[in-house]
Amino acid sequence: MNLALRDVRRHLARFVGTAAGLGLLLSVVVAMQGIYAGMVDDATILTRAMHADLWLVQRDTRGPFAEGSRLDPSVEARAAAVPGVRTARPYTYQLIQREHRGAVMRIALVGLGWPDDPGRSLPLVRGRRLQQPHGEMIVDASLGLGIGESLALAGEQYRVVGLTKNALTSGGESVAFVSVADAELIAFDQPAEAAVLERQRVVARLRRTDLGRGQPALEDLATDSRWRAPALASPPVAAVLVQADPHRIAEVREVMRSWGDVSVYSQDEEEALLLGGVVQRARMQIGLFTVILTLTAAVIIMMVMYNLTLEKTHDLAVLKLMGAPRTRLLGLILQQAWLLGALGYAVAFAMGELVFPMFPRRVLITETISLVAPVATMGIVTLASILGLTHVMRIDPSTALEG
Amino acid sequence: MEDAVRAVDLSKTYGTGPAAVKALDHVTLTIARGTVAALLGPSGSGKSTLIKALGFVSPADTGEVFFGGRLVVKDGVPLADLAALRRRHLGFVFQKANLTSFLTARENVEIACEFGGKSDGRKRARELLAYLDVAGRERSYPEMLSGGEQQRVAIARALANEPSLILADEPTAALDSVRSRSVMELFRKVAHDRGAAVLVVTHDHRALEVFDVLYEMEDGRIRPHQQERPAPAAAP
Ligand SMILES: Nc1ncnc2c1ncn2[C@@H]1O[C@H](COP(=O)(O)OP(=O)(O)OP(=O)(O)O)[C@@H](O)[C@H]1O
Ligand SMILES: [Mg+2]
Repeated sequence: MNLALRDVRRHLARFVGTAAGLGLLLSVVVAMQGIYAGMVDDATILTRAMHADLWLVQRDTRGPFAEGSRLDPSVEARAAAVPGVRTARPYTYQLIQREHRGAVMRIALVGLGWPDDPGRSLPLVRGRRLQQPHGEMIVDASLGLGIGESLALAGEQYRVVGLTKNALTSGGESVAFVSVADAELIAFDQPAEAAVLERQRVVARLRRTDLGRGQPALEDLATDSRWRAPALASPPVAAVLVQADPHRIAEVREVMRSWGDVSVYSQDEEEALLLGGVVQRARMQIGLFTVILTLTAAVIIMMVMYNLTLEKTHDLAVLKLMGAPRTRLLGLILQQAWLLGALGYAVAFAMGELVFPMFPRRVLITETISLVAPVATMGIVTLASILGLTHVMRIDPSTALEG
Repeated sequence: MEDAVRAVDLSKTYGTGPAAVKALDHVTLTIARGTVAALLGPSGSGKSTLIKALGFVSPADTGEVFFGGRLVVKDGVPLADLAALRRRHLGFVFQKANLTSFLTARENVEIACEFGGKSDGRKRARELLAYLDVAGRERSYPEMLSGGEQQRVAIARALANEPSLILADEPTAALDSVRSRSVMELFRKVAHDRGAAVLVVTHDHRALEVFDVLYEMEDGRIRPHQQERPAPAAAP
């Protein structure tokens, strides 16, 4: 006769309730770990999806994600000329916030080096890569835009042609990809009012010079909108991404390191910068929180298990008096612990399937989590039953006689 | 008849120094199979302490206990697996029925059969419940049973393994006089039908004619009961 199941059957509602509570607790722990994993994964997708061997950024900066980086566009041509380099392409990165259909959209805008990189390496879930250098964009599905929809940026319409999944920054902004030229247009977009003011400033400055006073026609020239300041020289890029022959990467890196205006990072180093700088604090925070939460859950489970045992003290004393083998009584406690763990895990799993996708941040249930979670749950409930087990060992059968 | 249990010179003291209580004071006692013995005595005289020593639950400090002719406990040291002994050869009945609350009446008896190594526990449990006239309540949980029914289920449980010794500590304290008499008669029936030795602690002097032997305890010492046994016809 299985005593554990008989006891559960007698107190079914309470047992199921306990298991459900345990399940909710577990699901919070798993969610926390999933958010942590999602955060790390999201953060690195920006670097990984670019498939670059080397990242050239402004000298002595940790750009472009951890801090701003401005690189002269000529670096691209210089890098391409280094022996061993297969491709070198520009890259820009900036955060913008726009309203679209009444909702605030935060977008991390990445400029891809057209025509070398139309988004070839992006993990598209729908649609296609960029096919023209202007007016098209690939966005993350989390923005809620569909293929063919348009977004107004800098006074122009950008049509969504492709969708990615889970391309998010560490701050949770959805990433959108356009050509570098478009990214610059958007970055240096000026409202009409600002343009007028700037034009007046240029005119005023011109009028203070002899040349300006002597040649009034220059004014028209200086305020022509095509001559706006950024257009005078090509604007800087954030980084140049280099792909090299696999066996010559070190050699290429040596050459570039000697250039006075760039710092060179490998893919891994860039990823480490991103995680170390931008994600580190959030990661620590969530990591610590996860640890505390896991410990809390363990303690709560332990107390629940202990209480379940305490309640049975008298019944256990009677069984002991009847000469019940010790293994039967310990088995009763352990089996209930395992049943509780299994039910709790099932509840947590169901919760995860139903609720996690609705979270604003991605909850990434990695393979490790999905393997470790059930094992850890069973481990925790087993450990948690130790208090109860020692209680069972200590119960004095003669107390049963006292009624 | 064969001795079920024999206690020789049992002594037990609770506490130390001035607060020490001598609960058993050189108690020697033999109970033969097939007899029902009553243990009388005032509160605090050591009756429960003796039951615990004879039932291998808490041994006495000094003295010997023989079970079925074999020395099992000597000076508080067990010489055999006491839990195994309890589950195979002993039956307990308590003041309150003390059934396992999460098992039905039948399962309470069945689990005792199982502990005792009986394979046909369910069938045996049914038979015992029928023998004790509670067959109709076999699916009920203890809390749904009346006090008398609980006590009868507890006796059925005590009988599960055809024990050679049944120890009952005030089994009728919670019952009215009619029921308590019927429980006492049941013990007699069990002893005589099944050859068990039965020792019953009781305060109830109304049903003493049921017993074959009467013992009385006082201040930890035991002696045969002095009072005359009332004539059977005079009993209420
Ligand atoms: N666990 C214990 N610790 C200390 N003293 C105890 C303990 N158990 C019993 N005693 C003492 O030993 C003496 C005998 O107790 P016991 O329980 O055997 O008496 P009893 O005859 O069963 O009494 P009652 O009729 O009230 O049940 C009492 O004085 C009691 O106070
Ligand atoms: Mg007592």
